[in-house]
Amino acid sequence: MKPETFDHLRLELRRGCLVLAVLSALRAEQYGYTLRKILAEHGVEMDEGTLYPLLRRLENQGLLESEWREQDKRNKRFYRLTKDGKEMLKQLLVEWQTIDSALRAVMKEQRNGTDRPLPARG
Amino acid sequence: MELIDRYLHAVKFWLPNEQADDIIAELSEDIRAEIEERESSLGRDLTTEEISGLLRERGRPVLVANRYLPQQHLIGPVLFPIYKFVLKIVALCYLVPWFLVWIGLIAAGADQGGTRGPHGWAATVGSMWGSLWFTAFISAGVVTLVFACLERAEAKSHFLRTWDPVKLPAVRNPRLISRASTGIELAVSMLVSVWWAENLSSPVVLHRPAATIVFAPWWNYYFWGFLSLSFAAAALACVNLMRPYWTAIRAAARLVLDGAGATLFCCLLKANILAEIVLPNVPPEKSHAIAAAINLWAARTLPAGVVVGVAIVTIDAFRVVRFRNLRPAPPAGFLNTVGRIDPPPQTSK
Repeated sequence: MKPETFDHLRLELRRGCLVLAVLSALRAEQYGYTLRKILAEHGVEMDEGTLYPLLRRLENQGLLESEWREQDKRNKRFYRLTKDGKEMLKQLLVEWQTIDSALRAVMKEQRNGTDRPLPARG
Repeated sequence: MELIDRYLHAVKFWLPNEQADDIIAELSEDIRAEIEERESSLGRDLTTEEISGLLRERGRPVLVANRYLPQQHLIGPVLFPIYKFVLKIVALCYLVPWFLVWIGLIAAGADQGGTRGPHGWAATVGSMWGSLWFTAFISAGVVTLVFACLERAEAKSHFLRTWDPVKLPAVRNPRLISRASTGIELAVSMLVSVWWAENLSSPVVLHRPAATIVFAPWWNYYFWGFLSLSFAAAALACVNLMRPYWTAIRAAARLVLDGAGATLFCCLLKANILAEIVLPNVPPEKSHAIAAAINLWAARTLPAGVVVGVAIVTIDAFRVVRFRNLRPAPPAGFLNTVGRIDPPPQTSK
């Protein structure tokens, strides 16, 4: 197996989870740099070229709101969830849990099935 | 910090005006925060090389800016396979014949014997080569333009999403030979053979008060050659009618027949086959001149004949290769014809 194939598939797998990670992290207000650090500390590495466009997209969709504010003598843009964003996060978490339990069930069945002989052809 | 300003300026160049300042302010803050953090962990200012490395990690300005832009494409992934298919069809049905005709015209020009000299011939090749590319670009451009319009229309109306599975085309078996076309081929071969044998067996092919046409004595070779090929084609059509599936052997037989027919036809064009034409009220010198002109005209069409012959033989050869690579067993049922892999035979211990 080529390593780039794994990288590509891993990227695809993670891409769908990024929105969920960002929305979850923004339950508390953050500005871009700290948000990136918090995500990285929890194992969700995101480069700025992915994070900032994503934040803008979510804001355009009405899921986030932002505000320029001064902190430590510098202007920073702070993001937080809107009401719609909170509702969306709730729905996405339910969806995530459904996918997670479905995947676990499939993987468990596959693990148990490997020792079993294949059913005979009818 | 001058390096950062240059970087931000370069990114800003690619951003839409209405968002540029906002995006650059945020990007600037992110870069400065990262630098500050590194400086505090190192306990010193970053060098120009270190800042340069940090910016390199973030990516080329145009790529960074591109991530903030909506996805843009002329032809999207939905229509792209169809676009590619249409381009192939255009290349195959328009550009390839055009190219063959072009070769034929060049060969015909060369055959006419340097009426414009070697420089004139080179100029013809050059102008036709340019014309071929011009045609190719125009064709590809028109197809691209049409698909770009379709892409816009699809984005608005989603016309590709409404479809009916019942209207899907039937599965085509590549080995199947249409019985209707074989029947027509057989009938035509038989009729041509009978007509040929009835009317062209003698070099004096027409002897009427209105005109007499006499072929050269070597016409006999062509007469028997074409007659044999016509019978062979009829025999092959009979076999195809009874067993309407291509096999490598029958495809090879078709290749041999078509190759022999094309060779014979090309030889005929150069053979000065018309020996004499006798027309009432036309002096013999003029009749001779007419016969010579017809022979010359036939000889000049030779390049076109060669091009057509080569095209036919190429298609036949492609068919032979294709059927050699296909599974040899003739299909027995519908599913086998579309490539189902049968289960291996049961073996007993």
